[in-house]
Amino acid sequence: MQQRVSLEDRQINRDLLRGVLEHPLWWFALVGFVGLVLLAGVISTGYMITKGIGVTGLNRPVMWGFFITNFVFWVGISHAGVMISAILRLTQAEWRRPVTRAAEVLTVFALMTAALHPVIHTGRPWRLLYWAFPYDFSRGIFVNVRSPLIWDPSAIFTYLTGSSLFVFVALLPDLAVLRDRTTGIVHHVYSVLCLGWRGTPKQWKLQTVAGILLSALILPVFVSVHSIVSWDFAVATSVEAWHSTIFAPYFVIGAVHSGVSAVVTMMALMRWLWKWDKYIRPEHFDALGRLLIVVSTTWFFFFFLEVLFGIYGQESPEIALREMQIFQWPWSMLFIIFLLTAYFIPVPLWLFPKVRRSITLMFWTSILVNIGMWLERFLIIVPGLARKQPLTFSWGTYHPSIIEILIVAASFALVAFLLLIFSKVFPLIPLFEQKEGQLFAKELRVGRKKVPAVIREE
Amino acid sequence: MARRSILGLFSDPDTTANAMDALRGAGYKDWELDILSGAPYPEGTFGEHMPSHHLFKFPLIGAACGLAVAILLTAGTQLAYPVVTGGKPILAIPAMAIICYEGTMLGAILFTVFGIIFESRLPRPRVGIYDKRITEGYIGIVVTSDETRVVQAEKTLKMAGAIEIKSGA
Amino acid sequence: MHNGHNGEALAASPEEVTQDILRKHREFTPRFKALVAVLAVLFLLGVVGFIIRLQDGFEHRVKWGYYAAVVVYLLTTAQAAPMVAIAPRLAKANWRRPVSRAAEMFGVVGLFNLLLFIPLLFLLPSTEGRRTIWFDGPSMSPHIWDTLAMVFLVLCGLAMLWAGSLPDMAAARDHSSGRRQGLFAKLAMGWRGTDLQWFLIRHRIGALASLYFMFLVFTHFLIASDFVLGLVPGWKDSIFPAFQALSALQSSIATMLVTMFVLRKWCGYERYIGLEQFWALSKLLLATSLLWFYFWWSGFIIFWYGRQPVEQNVISLIISGPYLPIFFTTFILNFIIPLVLLIWNAVRRSILGPTVVGCSILVGTFFDRIRLYVSAFSIEDVTAHALTVVPPAHTPDIADILIIIGALSGAGLSYALATKVFPVVNIWEIKEYMLLRVQAAFHRMEVTILAKPE
Repeated sequence: MQQRVSLEDRQINRDLLRGVLEHPLWWFALVGFVGLVLLAGVISTGYMITKGIGVTGLNRPVMWGFFITNFVFWVGISHAGVMISAILRLTQAEWRRPVTRAAEVLTVFALMTAALHPVIHTGRPWRLLYWAFPYDFSRGIFVNVRSPLIWDPSAIFTYLTGSSLFVFVALLPDLAVLRDRTTGIVHHVYSVLCLGWRGTPKQWKLQTVAGILLSALILPVFVSVHSIVSWDFAVATSVEAWHSTIFAPYFVIGAVHSGVSAVVTMMALMRWLWKWDKYIRPEHFDALGRLLIVVSTTWFFFFFLEVLFGIYGQESPEIALREMQIFQWPWSMLFIIFLLTAYFIPVPLWLFPKVRRSITLMFWTSILVNIGMWLERFLIIVPGLARKQPLTFSWGTYHPSIIEILIVAASFALVAFLLLIFSKVFPLIPLFEQKEGQLFAKELRVGRKKVPAVIREE
Repeated sequence: MARRSILGLFSDPDTTANAMDALRGAGYKDWELDILSGAPYPEGTFGEHMPSHHLFKFPLIGAACGLAVAILLTAGTQLAYPVVTGGKPILAIPAMAIICYEGTMLGAILFTVFGIIFESRLPRPRVGIYDKRITEGYIGIVVTSDETRVVQAEKTLKMAGAIEIKSGA
Repeated sequence: MHNGHNGEALAASPEEVTQDILRKHREFTPRFKALVAVLAVLFLLGVVGFIIRLQDGFEHRVKWGYYAAVVVYLLTTAQAAPMVAIAPRLAKANWRRPVSRAAEMFGVVGLFNLLLFIPLLFLLPSTEGRRTIWFDGPSMSPHIWDTLAMVFLVLCGLAMLWAGSLPDMAAARDHSSGRRQGLFAKLAMGWRGTDLQWFLIRHRIGALASLYFMFLVFTHFLIASDFVLGLVPGWKDSIFPAFQALSALQSSIATMLVTMFVLRKWCGYERYIGLEQFWALSKLLLATSLLWFYFWWSGFIIFWYGRQPVEQNVISLIISGPYLPIFFTTFILNFIIPLVLLIWNAVRRSILGPTVVGCSILVGTFFDRIRLYVSAFSIEDVTAHALTVVPPAHTPDIADILIIIGALSGAGLSYALATKVFPVVNIWEIKEYMLLRVQAAFHRMEVTILAKPE
């Protein structure tokens, strides 16, 4: 049931460069709106830095709250890009073609946003350099490489560098198209950016090899990033429930779950906003939906293992924590919402091909997943800290302040803002991938039936 | 002898392949011919010379460099300020392994990207002979040779159905 | 295009392919008879070993450590092997078609392993007074549920094998006479190849396949939790069951690579099983080997960093203590060798390379099961609060060695006999493959065109 469309290169150029070369009103309105939310967040951050972190809801024993939850959430979203483009490139899945760029760019921006959170969370961002940069500036003390809080920046730095370069390399041929379609100063900028790309067989071959090679290199980094984020929690023994061996793969697959869902959300928006119906088709949502069924079920299995082996030890802090997480108001409500939105509503729906091929339904279910996955991180972090002591008098709770809520809202605005700006400068769907897809699409006749086929170079 | 390039522009892959055959038949060597296209055609579509490259060496060298730097950094910082934390030895290998892993991968990725740009012979300060229509689906054949052979090539390209011939330096 | 490619078989006519495979299916060559005889003798040796072991009774669990290891080893390798048919079927990858039957036929070995599993039930203590995944459930819960899981897994595997071979049974029926025809007529259940029958076989095997996959993971979760974690007091390790399931996926590919190599080299199927299958599987093998390390490391780093006494004892029990040489061997065979060899495309894209790595993983996994099961079985007091003393390594005696040899040859024997019931290369899938894969010219270039029907 693939609905292939045959397109001329010229039409592909015209359609996919629409975002860059046309200037619709809605784009300015959207940028204005997210810009305002972003501004609110910037002001809140400034206020927090001047006043100190007393203005947040963080207090003993819950010292990690919205900022760290949101940090884990955005690192999770950043796993979309490589998951989609690297795995699908390596498995030569044809349906990756319109998805890759958007997913990679989402990775970069989500990761940048995520990296901001620990910085904001410190309250004194300028001191971060002492804590994380491997050089003794004045005190004769080096950073502690045995701490996961140092593993983390090294992983995020590697991932951010790698995925940004990945985006750039895959942009080169499209930048050449833009160079050929623009004039004046803009033309010169694109000429410089595309490094003088001409489209010789060798350049194309390297482009293909680079896609595969970089995918293969970034894939292990992507796994390590969220694993290390999970070890921020898991290696220490102070919070019983965090000290669980499944944490690394559980976080990674959870990240893939929320990341791929975010890509679905983004694809639906791209189809609606830029009217790319010919490029982003129901079959792409269908494929993403199938992938999500597998990913989410694996995630659920790991979640089950995490809970089961949490209570397995039957130790009192663990029991107290689970009681709070699952049965105590309002956490119990959050827990139910989390289960429903992250798994029990979307996954049964995705089992139906009609749902997977409906863009509206896929859009809303993917939003649900990310609500659930945000809550998942929140429910791991806050109740764990609130019940980390064995003695009841040192238990605590947590209420986010308006400052934290504004900063979290602004983080969503920041990612949206960066994506909108990107869409104005670069094409969000790779043009050359579309053209290649057109070249490689064939049909085989078996009796009376035409079966869609692809060309494979061996 | 002065070398010069011309570009023959074709509208579809079939005529391009025929033109390549004609040029090859007229005695032009692989290194005198190049193809410019706006999409990655399967290798050898036009019977062109298969490009070779050394890209696979780059990540290996990069990984080695990255690993070396990471080992120096992790071992060095621990030895420079040897304080025991969490009951772990001063040179805690599992902890170092994580940072060394990241360093190795970072080195490999950086060198790969460097390799791609280097092997593609980019950046080119001047694009050289080119036509904007190539990114619109046209395919170009570039012949670079000495004056007499270029003049000859121009005829061959025209005969083979080039819709336009451009010449440049 | 290149050596070892199965383009040759695809050039043949469907009728020729059917005849050729059925002939191989029918023949009892001297080599086959010799193989069966040798395996039967070795299997009988195993029976002797088992009888010697029975003399010790079931009181000393440690004496059965190697027995448990080999049963779980078969669960990890042979019973996982159908995954090589299942996963690509669900992903609609065409390359699986020539080898899907060979993979599904390991369901027969599952039946054999189900018999071997029975004595393990007598070794499992009641859940009273110890921490298990069954909490306060009935004290015989693990015995009941583990058995049910094993039985269901085996039944599901056999059902998948049989349903998937109906068209080939019908082909065998149509190309034979006498009693043989009668037998295959029964097995084919009156298959005629109507549209409805084809629809069912194409679409419903997928459901059985997903069920088998889920049950494989579930059975590994139960066996690993009950026969390893539950027997070591204080060992709380949420990744361990998932690690065992993953190890099964890795071993399934290794098992199939070795099986494919044997089928090519000694059984005359090199026309059908070619480089494409080895290449595709070797990529997956590299991925699962990397994941093997990742899952192992994720568990290890938590225990290493945590440094609680029980964690240090568990590390000593299965990694750094009495079984260090065995762990070291496993680590090299299951991770280092696959990594070092398979990162090279030249090795991945060959017949021999992936097979060598497959052998390495099969041996490595065997040592891995010894390291985990023998050590867990050597713990005396399963109701203690935490593991305080690490027991010394338990070395195998002659009965253990006989049992290992017997169990492995019994598995081989059941597979060999099954090849005479089911054609080991899937005739109908090969025919479908021939329709969907075409070599064609693209301007000046020869390319493969691959069709993917919905």
